[in-house]
Amino acid sequence: MKHPCSSVSELVEKYLDQEVTDQEKVLVETHLFDCSSCRDAMKSMEELSTVMKVPLYEIAREEDFDRVWLKVKREIRSEEKHSWWEVFRSWFGFATLHQKRVWIPTVAAALVLILVTVPLLLKKSPSLPVEFGVEYVESKTNNVMVYEVEESKVTVIWLFEGPEAEPTTS
Amino acid sequence: MKPDETDLISRCQKGDQDALKEIFDQYREKVYRIAYGVVRHREDALDIVQEVFIKLFRSIKHFEGKSRFYTYLYRMAMNTAIDHSRKTKKNPTSSIDVEGGVVPVDAIENRPDRIAVRKELGERLKRAMDKLPDDQRTALIFREVEGLSYQEMAEAMECSIGTVMSRLHYGRKKVQESLRDYVNEGE
Amino acid sequence: MAFRRSGGGTNNVMKRFASFSTFLLILIFLSASTVFAQVQTRVRVIQASNAGSTIDPSLRDVHDQLGSLFSFTSYRLLKDETVSLSPNRPVAIPTHPGTALEIELIRKQKDVAEFKVKIKREKAEILNTQVRLSPGRTVVIGGPKHGEGTIILAITARF
Repeated sequence: MKHPCSSVSELVEKYLDQEVTDQEKVLVETHLFDCSSCRDAMKSMEELSTVMKVPLYEIAREEDFDRVWLKVKREIRSEEKHSWWEVFRSWFGFATLHQKRVWIPTVAAALVLILVTVPLLLKKSPSLPVEFGVEYVESKTNNVMVYEVEESKVTVIWLFEGPEAEPTTS
Repeated sequence: MKPDETDLISRCQKGDQDALKEIFDQYREKVYRIAYGVVRHREDALDIVQEVFIKLFRSIKHFEGKSRFYTYLYRMAMNTAIDHSRKTKKNPTSSIDVEGGVVPVDAIENRPDRIAVRKELGERLKRAMDKLPDDQRTALIFREVEGLSYQEMAEAMECSIGTVMSRLHYGRKKVQESLRDYVNEGE
Repeated sequence: MAFRRSGGGTNNVMKRFASFSTFLLILIFLSASTVFAQVQTRVRVIQASNAGSTIDPSLRDVHDQLGSLFSFTSYRLLKDETVSLSPNRPVAIPTHPGTALEIELIRKQKDVAEFKVKIKREKAEILNTQVRLSPGRTVVIGGPKHGEGTIILAITARF
């Protein structure tokens, strides 16, 4: 039974790639026997494969891969040396510190901070009287008395708790 | 994965450079062929091989063995080659090689006219491949250069077998159209 | 074609360095301003009574200072605590069961610091006062009953 090209053409590629089942293989080989058009198509694909493949195997065999390996080894070794120090350097950008676009914005930011913070730190608030003083004293629950002991420069704030609570005084 | 390859990978993951060397020796030509298939230039292909194995050493600690190692490596090689090819397109510094760069043994093939044909064929092939979308180009190189099966290609390209077949089919068709005259002359 | 290393993220490095420097400067400023304004404040909780005649050795100064005012015969130290006060950050110190002292530094200048002092009993405020203290000066707040005696709080500022 002859199969039309349209139903076999997809299988021709699979056949070329050796991906067909046994049944499909028989089908394709039977068709190719009778169909010159599909034979030509397959031959065209085979030649493409040859054009792409053969030179590459020959070239690859001739290349100096030892030289390549030396470069690989050198690159890996230089990466290992850059361990923690390189990480530190690269993170904090010391390697690029000399670049204008790094230090200029950093210095500018530092200057702005200093200009803003120094006045705040040095800002003079209204002076407090130097000597001790009681600004205010209040109690919603108790009577309060303030005593000044001149000799010892101690100020006493006393809370009275009930009429009997007055402290024993000298 | 072969038992000795598992051990190699394990050692490489721990930073063993001797293990990397063994992997390098085993796969260097395959990676080169993939690279060359894309860039068609020997020095560039060697640069790509270098880059691939350095990348491999850095990234192999993340390889979990879910796919076959060589499909993982081939995918890395293809991606690196394609990236390199894109960069080169923007800043072309090299021309492609004379096709193969190999001195044929056959006296007929040594004839100047045959050399000229081969050079032009190489240029046409590169141009045809460059015009392909990345996935079709990848499929062609994996199949025609490295002879991967559909299953292996699906794993390397992270797609289905049906997609692999589709990409192969359209890739072949486009390249064949570009090369039709030169393929016929080769008969 | 020579192998090229991928370019460094100079912009990222620059940003990181600038951010880190700025953060460090802010941190230094905040720390400096905080440390600069702190006042060491000593709070002694004393139980004064006429039961017995024991005067705690560490309370000799208080006894001497208050001797002319009060005639308590016994001064017992219940608590001696020094706290570091920063502006506008009140600190609560329990004095005796059910009662706590809350002290807050309002502001500090070279020779004088201003404090807000509150005494709370069962969370109700029984005293609210604001005092100025020079270094080494003591304010004594007393009156609340505790057992057989009276609670006296001696607050001294050091800066």
